[in-house]
Amino acid sequence: MVIRAENVRRRYGDTVALDGVSFSVESGEVFALIGPNGAGKTTLIRALTGTTQAEGTVELLGGAPEDAARHRIGLLPQEFSPAERLTARELLAYYAGLYDQSRDPDSVLDDVGLTDSADTYYENLSGGQKRRVCVGTALVNAPDVLILDEPTTGIDPNGRRELWALIEGLADTGTTVLLTTHYMEEAETLADRVGLLADGKLVELGSPEELIERHGGDSRLVVEADDAADATRALERAGYHLLPDETHVAVAAGPRDIPDIADALDDAGVDYEGLLWRQPGLDDVYVALTGTDVTATGDPITEGQP
Amino acid sequence: MSRLGRIAAETTAAWYAFTRRRTAVFFTFFFPVIIILIFGALVGTEPTGGGLFAEPAGYYIAGYLAVVVLFTPLSRVGSEVARHRDGNRFEKLATTPLTRAEWLLAQTLVNVAVIGLASVLILALVLVVTDATFAFSALVVPYLAFAVALFCGFGAILGRVADSQDGVVAASNGVALPLLFLSETFVTVEMLPSWFVPLMDLSPLTYFARGIRAATYRPAGELPPVGGTGLVGADPYLNLLVLALLSVGFFAVGAYALPRTD
Repeated sequence: MVIRAENVRRRYGDTVALDGVSFSVESGEVFALIGPNGAGKTTLIRALTGTTQAEGTVELLGGAPEDAARHRIGLLPQEFSPAERLTARELLAYYAGLYDQSRDPDSVLDDVGLTDSADTYYENLSGGQKRRVCVGTALVNAPDVLILDEPTTGIDPNGRRELWALIEGLADTGTTVLLTTHYMEEAETLADRVGLLADGKLVELGSPEELIERHGGDSRLVVEADDAADATRALERAGYHLLPDETHVAVAAGPRDIPDIADALDDAGVDYEGLLWRQPGLDDVYVALTGTDVTATGDPITEGQP
Repeated sequence: MSRLGRIAAETTAAWYAFTRRRTAVFFTFFFPVIIILIFGALVGTEPTGGGLFAEPAGYYIAGYLAVVVLFTPLSRVGSEVARHRDGNRFEKLATTPLTRAEWLLAQTLVNVAVIGLASVLILALVLVVTDATFAFSALVVPYLAFAVALFCGFGAILGRVADSQDGVVAASNGVALPLLFLSETFVTVEMLPSWFVPLMDLSPLTYFARGIRAATYRPAGELPPVGGTGLVGADPYLNLLVLALLSVGFFAVGAYALPRTD
């Protein structure tokens, strides 16, 4: 077992940041922590790396975090901001220089896709490039356990997928990865198991498939109709089970049901612009368990506001 | 070897990070220059029989050097601590083999280099714009190194206590100004009330100023000073010893004060 947390609690004044969190991460596993802002993800990461004092039992690499062999750990803190006037290569060389054995900074630059910007000052890189350098600083010592707090925030979709491939590659070679993310697709793609934190509590734990099975609900067909009331009546009359959906008409349906639903709408004379079928995902689990949708930054989406 | 490697990596990064901030470099050197031009040339140091700056020009060299060993490490290390904390860099470093003492030592080495250069500039400028005489002594080097280490440690403590870079600047000014003028740098003992004189021994800068002066200041026709005021008098070696002991203490407390947790 690489990481173990048992009944971990952390309080800041009257605010409870962690409230009895227990979980473990096995060697070679990719574990994702998801949850809204303020759920306690970063506090949990800090407790696991020994940079905050928490109650309960925390073990990293078989002992107290502060006693863990540091050359085996790679950490990317949230909102990490290294020295601005060092180039990408210099930054990686600096962090590499803190270890007895480290990777060639240029090979790390290549991994994070920044070879062309190697000699650019950190302050002159784009937001996504900066985050890639920061990810690189966690890789320079070829760690056995990689802890990444929101590694792809601010990175464009292509860059995100490149980093996913990199993390998957590391996991394939036996690196244990613990990451936090607001991208449900990221957790679903990368993680062997997912823990959902809300209000300092670990409210659900399991593989993405298990969580979706338990909380994701039915596969659904969304009807994009001009007159939602007409569509609703037509589908109810045809015997379909309507699902709660704030913005569209949605029914529980498998892919084979699509022609029959289209016929039912045509027979009732309902105009519709499109039919969208999708399987439930971690987004649905997130909504079901936290009662809120979420943006990529972790902020709840409020209708009518950007 | 690995400890040296870590310190070398941190020192190199800190050196680049400082020397590439042009305004920081400029004002680090501009500050002592403007002090010398104001007090050494504009105000003048002609003996008048009383008041400020009534001593021969060479008397104030210790004060000019005190300006750089005090202000620069205090504000630079304090601000660096605040920058590291704001950017979660200490959180990152806590998971690397670099220790807090190694980090502070690297910052100290950068400051010793910067202040060494500034001191050469000060000495050259003083000799050019005033009629000061300066008897060079090799003791100046350890005096500068220990004083810089001391105030780097002090700066780390201020960085820990102050919750922002603005707070560090305000705190370092609040600490440095009284120290500068009440440590036998520019204000002579005779100008202060007698009850205050023993309190000067509480300032680390007093030992720096007295020691540098004892080692390098030779008023015309006079022998090196003996006796003198204060805990260890005017002996340059004893003042250096006290300064060294204080710098070890401040450095250790400063290293311990560096944040590792939130």
